[in-house]
Amino acid sequence: MSSETPGASAAAPAADAPATPPGKPSGGPRAVRRTWGGGLFASELGVLFRRRRTWAMLGTLAAIPILIAVAVRVSSAVPAGRGPAFLDRITQNGLFVGVTAMLVSVPLFLPLTVGVVAGDTVAGEAGLGTLRYLLVAPAGRVRLLLVKYGGAAVFAVVAPLVVALVGAGIGASLFPVGPVTLLSGDAIGAGEALLRLLLIAAYLAVSLLGLSAIGLFMSTLTDVPVGAMASTVVLSVVSQVLDALPQLEWLHPWLFSHYWLDFADLLRQPVAWDSFATNAVLQAGYVAVFGALAYGRFVTKDVLS
Amino acid sequence: MTRKWLRWVPAVAVPAMIAAGVLVGSLPASAGDPLPAKTPQQVLLMIAQHNEKSLSGTLEQTSDIGLPQLPKTGPGGVSSDAAWLELLTGPHTARVYLDGPDNARVQVLDKMAERNAVRRGNELWFYNSKDNTAAHTQLPAGAGDHHKAAAGPVPTPEDLAARLLATLDATTDVSVGTDVQVAGRAAYNLVLTPKSAVTLVDSIAISVDGTSGLPLGVELNARGQAEPAFKVAFTSLTLQAPDAAMFAFTPPAGATVTEIPAPERKANATPPSGTAPEAKGAKRPTVTGTGWESVLEFPAGAAAMPGTAAGQAPMPDPAAGNPAQADPALPGGPMTGAASLLEQAAVAVPGGRLISTSLVNVLILDDGRMFAGAVPLARLQAAAGLG
Amino acid sequence: MTAVAHTTELSIETTGLSKRFGRQLAVDGIDLAVPTGSVFGFLGPNGSGKTTTIRLMLGLSAATAGSVRLLGREMPRHLHEVLPRVGALVEGPAFYPFLSGAANLHRFDAADPHVPAATRKARVRDALDRVGLSHAADKKVRAYSLGMKQRLGIANALLAPRELLVLDEPTNGLDPQGTREVRSLVRSLAEDGVTVFVSSHLLAEVEQICTHAAIMSAGRLVAQGTLAELRQAGQARLRVLTPDAGAAAQVLVGLGLTVDGATPAGRSRPTGDGPARDASGSDGDVLYAPLRAGSGDGGVPPEAVVAALVAAGVRVRGFATEQVSLEERFVALTGEGFDVVQ
Repeated sequence: MSSETPGASAAAPAADAPATPPGKPSGGPRAVRRTWGGGLFASELGVLFRRRRTWAMLGTLAAIPILIAVAVRVSSAVPAGRGPAFLDRITQNGLFVGVTAMLVSVPLFLPLTVGVVAGDTVAGEAGLGTLRYLLVAPAGRVRLLLVKYGGAAVFAVVAPLVVALVGAGIGASLFPVGPVTLLSGDAIGAGEALLRLLLIAAYLAVSLLGLSAIGLFMSTLTDVPVGAMASTVVLSVVSQVLDALPQLEWLHPWLFSHYWLDFADLLRQPVAWDSFATNAVLQAGYVAVFGALAYGRFVTKDVLS
Repeated sequence: MTRKWLRWVPAVAVPAMIAAGVLVGSLPASAGDPLPAKTPQQVLLMIAQHNEKSLSGTLEQTSDIGLPQLPKTGPGGVSSDAAWLELLTGPHTARVYLDGPDNARVQVLDKMAERNAVRRGNELWFYNSKDNTAAHTQLPAGAGDHHKAAAGPVPTPEDLAARLLATLDATTDVSVGTDVQVAGRAAYNLVLTPKSAVTLVDSIAISVDGTSGLPLGVELNARGQAEPAFKVAFTSLTLQAPDAAMFAFTPPAGATVTEIPAPERKANATPPSGTAPEAKGAKRPTVTGTGWESVLEFPAGAAAMPGTAAGQAPMPDPAAGNPAQADPALPGGPMTGAASLLEQAAVAVPGGRLISTSLVNVLILDDGRMFAGAVPLARLQAAAGLG
Repeated sequence: MTAVAHTTELSIETTGLSKRFGRQLAVDGIDLAVPTGSVFGFLGPNGSGKTTTIRLMLGLSAATAGSVRLLGREMPRHLHEVLPRVGALVEGPAFYPFLSGAANLHRFDAADPHVPAATRKARVRDALDRVGLSHAADKKVRAYSLGMKQRLGIANALLAPRELLVLDEPTNGLDPQGTREVRSLVRSLAEDGVTVFVSSHLLAEVEQICTHAAIMSAGRLVAQGTLAELRQAGQARLRVLTPDAGAAAQVLVGLGLTVDGATPAGRSRPTGDGPARDASGSDGDVLYAPLRAGSGDGGVPPEAVVAALVAAGVRVRGFATEQVSLEERFVALTGEGFDVVQ
């Protein structure tokens, strides 16, 4: 089909190209070597983060910890053990705003935003018609797919980070910050607590990589970005519903959302790394499977948009 | 162009490779018999002689005893008064840290929460992160021999093995099965099979570390059930002393701390709840039958379900697994919120109601007497003098 | 159809190129030959398979059968060597509406791993300059008119030095002024030695700027060659104006000619509004009969036809041999009576 395996034509030798016709819009000599460089990746991030939609989604995510913090601040003390986990600890330690906000955003908000970005990757370009211009540039189908996944992965890292950092920030400004009590009852200093917060954000970022790969594959199936986004988000909901059905217990360890809420293992003393490792392996499996599917689909796809 | 299908090769190959990898990984690692053959007596001796007092490991417990699983609503989990029942019905993971007979810590890893029991010398702390409560008690001097008491809600294999071996007698066939792999270690598989046909217990398997003799896991199999009814085993284990800081516990700021008066003699029965000891002392169960066919009879009143009246234990009763009882699901501890759940699980039978699990049947007569045992209903009814 | 001599160097060469969508054959075994240095018009009504052919050429879509060679290299196998030397405008311009014109060009330029990033800024500026969009470089594309987008699309095709430009309907949506500008741009590019492949459904456009043309109809290539060749390839025909249509037809048939149609004065010919109709007035009917070009092999010399008509007593009020215009030829070949804008 119409793509080449990476490196198969690693260079367009200058000698191969006939002399540049004079008087053309030329800005310099033709590049001799093909670069895999970050040019396209940087451009991809530029496009992603120059969209108003991206900022709207990040803003929504940032609003979650702010809403939680303000609600706790203006209301009376939360009785212990009520509401989402950690909510009752916020008044004692503002850093828990970040943890609570991440907990709250795991089931819907994070998958939703990541689903939108991942579902938009290829289908969005197809919908705009820009996909054909990227391909005749030529971006290379494999390279484009990798860059697209890279962009979605960066968003998957940024999204939980925004929740964590905004949460820690608003928490620190509205509530006292001090030693943080872990689930095991041990206390750690605020510095290490911030580190744990970042670890949780990393855990969630890893958790969302599998979903991003699913979104990428969905995105290669259609030219309608909304369809790819919706099906990705729906899949994340379906996965969570299946995970809640005890009748399907055999299936649970294979669901990409199964370990999403196990980030609490990072709040134990000592840190229980098992779930982090298991989750990472599971997500890597999803990335491999859906990456391969996306590859198969995208390099054989007729770009007709 | 004509080899378009080649592009789909990875999409087929990757899942196939993963499936193959999973399949290979799930095969029992039966590398012949890596351990020298031993008789059951020798294995029992290994258990008796093992002196691994320092370890850190992760235990995993699963049960499938036929009781409905408690609803786990979201990340919150169940209410604390039903916690002991929840321990029986759902899967659990716990981390165990032991350093000598006097230092121990058990962490039950719940979703978004954790229950801790920490023992350092004679100081015993319980902590539940869910409601941020802590309880403290001073163990009487000399309790050091019973360091297992601190083992907390998920019994260590060591505990269970000791209890089960104590019940060994002529009623049971003891054999050594094929070696197994537990927590990455080669282990002997000691299998106890009841001789009696009138019991719900099919077999009990204890895995014993091939080098140290430490029991690594216990598996209870019920008749007519493929999955183990109850299983607890190490998934990871290091036989080294944990960091001493593990056993230093100070209740976190803001936690509600309860002081539990030091228990009297019985280090092995330390219910933190105030009401349970009275009930226990007043009405002792009587045993009819022997061995696997034993039936316990509780006089009326002992099984009264106290509703919400009883004080809540910050930790599930560590004594619930009394050696005399085959299953800790028997009453005798606090059973406030869980009572209604058991009520739901009960079905009406002639003469009373039956709570049936794959390992234990409990018959509650209309007059309040209660019969329990690892036996079929007919046996309970016979013991109750019905039909 | 005139075969282009294969001794000429070809920028685009397709052999039996076909594309099937489901049961529909969108492109049916076409053999295109675009000589290097030509300005090649790719004519055809909307939906005749022009854009699909361009997609196949550029490796956007896989051919069902046949092969494509672009700049002498097989596509899509050597896509990464060929496409950097090809600028393309495919099926109208497409851009990120939330980015400025310049940012869009930066994006597409970054997609090409063969061009140096260091000169990107200058090349983008030059390309915008070339299509007269410098003033709108920092405006969001969302605010561009269709014509501005079209120009930006052409600028995108000119981002790097190209040997071949593939422009699909480049004047679509442009006002007459813009159309003129594009034409002169194409001419100046051609003067620089760039091969330009322009698809269009507008014959006038092709006639004005192209040296060569090919005509597509319903997925098939029905003619190709230089414009002169295409014009000559059309058969000359006889035009007879007579009140005795029936008799005249008999004579013509007797001479071995086929009568295209007898059109009563005032009624239009089935193939469109031919120029002959206006002359017919009320003097009688107009008869057309194709005259085989090389009159050697069984062809009838026109003078013999007149003689025969007169001998048969047909009142000949007008007689002419006429060469078919390219437009009529186009219409005849594609069988479409659509707007051929002058």
